[in-house]
Amino acid sequence: MDNNIDQLNRRLLREKTARKQAEVILEEKALELYNANEQLRHLNENLEQQIRDKLAELRQSEQRYRQLIESVQDIIFKTSTDGHFTFVSPGIEQLLGYTEQEFLQMHFLTIIQPGYRQKLLDFYLLMLKNRQDSNYTEFPVVAKDGRIVWIGQTARLIESDEEVLELVAVARDISDRKKAETALQTTQTRLSTLITNLQSGVMVEDENRRVILVNQLFCDIFDIPTTPDELIGHDCGEAREQVKGLFVEPDAFIERMNELLQNRQTCVGEEICMLNGRILELDYIPILLDDKYMGQLWRYSDVTEKYQAREQIRRSEEKYRGIMNNMELGLLEVDNEQNIMRAYERCCNMLGYTEEELVGKNATELLVPLEFQNVIERQQRQREEGSAGSYELQLIRKDGSRIWVLVSGVPINDEHGVLVGSMGIHYDLSERKVLEEELAMAKQIAEEARQAEKQFLANMSHEIRTPLNAIIGMSHLLFDTQPSRQQREYIDILKTSADFLHSLISDLLDMTKIEAGRVEVHPRPFDLVGLLRATQKVFEMKLEGRPVDIDVMLDARITGDFIGDDVMLNQILMNLVGNADKFTEKGNIQITAKLKQDEETGCWIEFSVSDTGIGIPAEKLDLVFQKFKQVNPQGHKHKGTGLGLAITKELVDIQGGSISVKSQIGEGSVFTFTLPFAKSPVLIEAKAVVQSQTPSASSDVVLMRHVLVVEDNLMNQKYIGGLLSKWKIPYTLAMDGKRAVEEAKNQRFDMILMDIQMPIMDGYEATVAIRSTHNPNQHVPIIALTASAMLDHKNIAMEAGMNDFLTKPFDPGQLMALFKRYAPKVSADDSEPKALDQKRLQELYGTDKAYPLEMFDLFLTDVVPEIYGLQAICRAQDWSLLARKAHKLKPTLGMVGLSWLEEKMEELQKKLKQGAEKEIIEQYCTDIITGVNQMIPVLQKETQKLSQV
Amino acid sequence: MKGIVFTELLEMIEDQYGYGLVDSLLTESNLPSGGVYTAIGTYDHAEMITLVDKLSLKTQLPVPDLLRIYGRYMFRSFTRGYRPFVDRVDSAFALLQSVHHHVHVEVRKLYPDAELPHFTVEQPSENHLTMRYESERKLSDFAHGLIEGCLSHFGETATITKRNLVDDGSIVLFDIVKT
Repeated sequence: MDNNIDQLNRRLLREKTARKQAEVILEEKALELYNANEQLRHLNENLEQQIRDKLAELRQSEQRYRQLIESVQDIIFKTSTDGHFTFVSPGIEQLLGYTEQEFLQMHFLTIIQPGYRQKLLDFYLLMLKNRQDSNYTEFPVVAKDGRIVWIGQTARLIESDEEVLELVAVARDISDRKKAETALQTTQTRLSTLITNLQSGVMVEDENRRVILVNQLFCDIFDIPTTPDELIGHDCGEAREQVKGLFVEPDAFIERMNELLQNRQTCVGEEICMLNGRILELDYIPILLDDKYMGQLWRYSDVTEKYQAREQIRRSEEKYRGIMNNMELGLLEVDNEQNIMRAYERCCNMLGYTEEELVGKNATELLVPLEFQNVIERQQRQREEGSAGSYELQLIRKDGSRIWVLVSGVPINDEHGVLVGSMGIHYDLSERKVLEEELAMAKQIAEEARQAEKQFLANMSHEIRTPLNAIIGMSHLLFDTQPSRQQREYIDILKTSADFLHSLISDLLDMTKIEAGRVEVHPRPFDLVGLLRATQKVFEMKLEGRPVDIDVMLDARITGDFIGDDVMLNQILMNLVGNADKFTEKGNIQITAKLKQDEETGCWIEFSVSDTGIGIPAEKLDLVFQKFKQVNPQGHKHKGTGLGLAITKELVDIQGGSISVKSQIGEGSVFTFTLPFAKSPVLIEAKAVVQSQTPSASSDVVLMRHVLVVEDNLMNQKYIGGLLSKWKIPYTLAMDGKRAVEEAKNQRFDMILMDIQMPIMDGYEATVAIRSTHNPNQHVPIIALTASAMLDHKNIAMEAGMNDFLTKPFDPGQLMALFKRYAPKVSADDSEPKALDQKRLQELYGTDKAYPLEMFDLFLTDVVPEIYGLQAICRAQDWSLLARKAHKLKPTLGMVGLSWLEEKMEELQKKLKQGAEKEIIEQYCTDIITGVNQMIPVLQKETQKLSQV
Repeated sequence: MKGIVFTELLEMIEDQYGYGLVDSLLTESNLPSGGVYTAIGTYDHAEMITLVDKLSLKTQLPVPDLLRIYGRYMFRSFTRGYRPFVDRVDSAFALLQSVHHHVHVEVRKLYPDAELPHFTVEQPSENHLTMRYESERKLSDFAHGLIEGCLSHFGETATITKRNLVDDGSIVLFDIVKT
C-alpha cells in the first residue's frame, strides 16, 4: 500500500515537476512568442510602409512610363498572338485617326494596305515559329481617312514559361522617309533612264578610272561590242587606247584626254573628228564631292548634222558677207539713238572712215549735214512705227566732201519684236546725181525749146491767120462792092484759095493740139437738130449748081436739147460732109442720125454721112483714118493735108465714141460714128449753136447798142469795122489793152471784142483790169479774138474773165452768132426797162427830196460796184461771202425803189441757203447785175429829177 | 529529443503495463532529467536509449520491436494531435512523400531546436515507394513503426523491406510495396 502511495507520490511529484517545467517552458515560449509577435508586428509595419512606398514608386514609374509612351511619336501596342490589338498608346489617334477604343477592336491585318497583308502575316508567323525575340519590318497601313501611312515597326515576343503570350511592338510613322526614299528612287530611276536614253554617249568613271556607268549610245559611238552593263568595271585607260584608232588624230585625242584628266576642269563642247566622218562633241565633267575627286563624266554627242548645218550657215554667211562687202551698197547699223553699231566695209569705203572710227559714234552728228537732219528725224519716226523707207540725202565723208546717197532704211527688231535700231543700205548716188542734174538741165533746155516751139507755132498761126483773116474778110466785103462778073470770079478764086489755106492751117493746128492732148471735151446743152440743119444749109449753099443733093434723115425721137461738145460734133460733120462733097460728082449726100441707145440720163446717137461718090478701094479702107494718107486715086483734083479724117477720128475717140467706114468703089462711101450725149434737164433757147451762117443771115436785127473793138492790127480793124458798119452796130476802137481799159471806164458797152496779142497791154491783162476795177463794163461780155488756136490760150482767156473765144480768121456768121448770144436779151425781149417802185419810195421818203437824193447817189456810187462784185465772188465760189454780201445789199435795193431786184436778191439768199448749183447761183447774180445795169439810166434820171428840184 | 517522444512512450508503457512499470523505469534509471518530462520540453536522447534499453530488459522484448511498436503507437497519437497533416492527403504514400518536405518543415517552424531525421522519398511506380532514412539517432525501427501506423491508418497493406545501407543503422532504406 505504501508502495502504491510512494509510487503515486512520485508520479504526482513527477507530474507536478513536469507541469512546472512545462509552465516555465510555456512562459518562455509565450515570452518568445510575444517578442516574436512584436518583431513581426514591427516587421509587418515596416513591410507595409515599404509596400506603400514601393506602390507609390510603382505608380510614379507607371505614370512616367505612360507619359513617356504617350509623349513619344512612336506608337506602342500589343497584340495577342492571334493578332488582335490588346493595347495601344494614345498616339494612335493622331497617327491613324482611330481612337484607342476603335483600335482595340481591330485585328492588325485590317489596317494593313491590301497587297501587303499576306507578306506581313507570313513575316510574323515566321517570327512566332522561330521564336525570334524581336525584329523590324516596314509596311503601309490605311488610316481611318484612307491615307496611306508607312509604318516601321519593331515587334518583340513576350514569353512566359516557354510560351508566347503576346507581341509588343513599337511602330513609327516613316511616311516621310518612305516618300523621300520613293522620291530618291524615282530620281534615280529617272536619272538612269535619262542617261540610258540620252542622245549622247555617256560614261561615268570612278576615281580609279573604272567604268561605273555607261549607256548604249556610248558603246554604239565607239563600236564597242559589249553591252553597257558588261563594260562596268573596265579600265577606262585601256578602253581609250583601244578606241583611239577611230579618231582622225588618235594621239592628239589621247593627249587631250590626259590633259583633261590632269586638270580636272569642266570642259564642254569640244569637237572631235572621227575617221568615219562623224563629228563628236565632247563634254568632260569632273565629279567632285565636297571637293573630293570622285571620278568624271564623259559625254559624247554626235553633232555631225549640227556641225554641217553650222558649216553651211557659216559658208552662207561668208558668201553673203562677201556679197555685201563687194556690192555697191554700204550697210550701216544704228541703234535707236542713231549710234553706229556696225559699219560694213563698203560703207566705210564710201564714207572714208574705218569701221573702228565709226562704231559707237552718232551717225547723225558725224555724217549728216545740218540741212538733212530733219530727213533723218522723219525717217526715224517711220522706223519707230515699224515701217521701212527710202530717201536720198547727202552725207559728209571723213575728208569733208559730200556724197549723195540713196538710203533704204529698215527697222531692226530683236527676237521679242522690240525695235532696237535700224539698218541703212546706202547707195552712192553722187554720179547719178550729176547725171540727174545734167538730165534736168537737158530737160529744162528741151522744155524751153518745146515752149519756144509752141510759142513759135502760136505765133506762126497768128502771123498766118491774121493776114489770112484779112484776106478772107476782105474778099467777103469785096462781094458787097458790086464787082464785075470777072472781078467776082477773081474774088471767088481768091476766097477759095484763102479758105483752102485756112483749112490747111487749121487742120495742122488741130492735129498738133490733139496730139499734145490739149483738146478737151466741153459738154454743154445744144440743139442737135438745129446743128444738123445748119450743116445741111451750109452745104446746100456750097453745092448750089451741082447735081448733088444733101439730105438730113432724122430719127423722130431726136428732139430737144442734148448735152455734148457741139463744137466737136460740128467739126466732125463738117469734115465728113466736106469729104463727101469733095468726092461726089453727082447724086446725093445724106446725113442721118439715129438714137441707138436711150437711157434716163443719156443716150448714144449714131450719125452717118453717106455719099454716092467714087468710093474707097477695100484695101485702102484701113488707111483712111491715118494721118497724111490720101486715098483718092487720081489725087490731083482734091488737095488737102490728108489730116481731115484722122482729126475726125481723134475727135470721135476723145468723146468716147467710135467711127467706121464702108465703101464700094464707084458707088460711094458711108462713114458712121456713134457718140454719147447727156440729156439736158431743161429746155434752153435755141441760141447757143455755133454755126456758120451766110452774111445774108447777119442782117437779122441784133440789139447791140455799142461795141468796143480792141484790135491793134489795121487789117483786122478794117474787117471788123466793115462788118459792124454793115450791121449798123456802133463801135469804138481801141488800139491796145491800155486804151481799152480807159475806154471801159468812160462808157458802158454791150460787148467788148478783145484781141489777145497786143503791144503795151495784152488782152488778158486788159480783161483782168476791167473785171477787177470799178467801171461800168466790169460785167459786160468780153470776147477774145485771137489768131492763136491753142487750147491753153483759150483757158488763159477764160481764167482772165473773158466770156468767149473767137479764133481768127473768122467769118461774119461766127461773129454774128456771138453777138446774138451775148446781146442784152432784156433789151430784145422788153425794150422798156422796169420802172421804180414809186409807191415804196413814197412810203419811204414822202415829199422829202434831199434824203432820197442822197440815197440814190450813194447807191450809184457805192452800191452798184458792190453788186458788180457779186460775179467775181460767184466765180471764186466763195458762197459764204456771197451770202453776206447779198444780205447786206438787199435792203439798199429797196431804198431806191428796186423792189423786184430786192426780191431777186432774197431768192438768191434762199438758193444759197439751199446749197443750189453753181450755175443757178451764177444765173441769179447775172440777172441781178443785168437788172441793175438796165436800171442805172432810170436811176440816173431819177437823181437828176431829184437834184433839179 | 522532443519531450513528446518521452511522454508518449511513458503513456504507451502505462497503457500496456501500468504506471508501475513506468515508475520503476524512471526510478531505476539514473536519468539526468529525473524522469520528469513534458511534451513541449527537450531532453537528451540518451535518456530515451536508457529508457528503451531498460524497458527491453523488463519486458524481455528486443529494443527494435519495442521501437516498432512505439512507432505504430506514436502514429496514432499524431493522427489525434496533428490531424490536419493527415487529412491533407488521401493515401499512405502521399503522406509518406510529404513527410520530409512538408511535415518536418512545419515541425521545424514550431520547434526550431528539433532534431529530425532526413528522408529521401522516391516512387518508382504507383505501388512502390522507397524511403531513405538518415539520422544519427539511428531510430529506423521507430520510423518503421510509424510507416506501418501510416499504412494502417489508411487501411492499406504493404510489404516493407528494411535494409541498412550502413552498418551502424544510421542510413536505412525502406522499400515499400503495396500489396
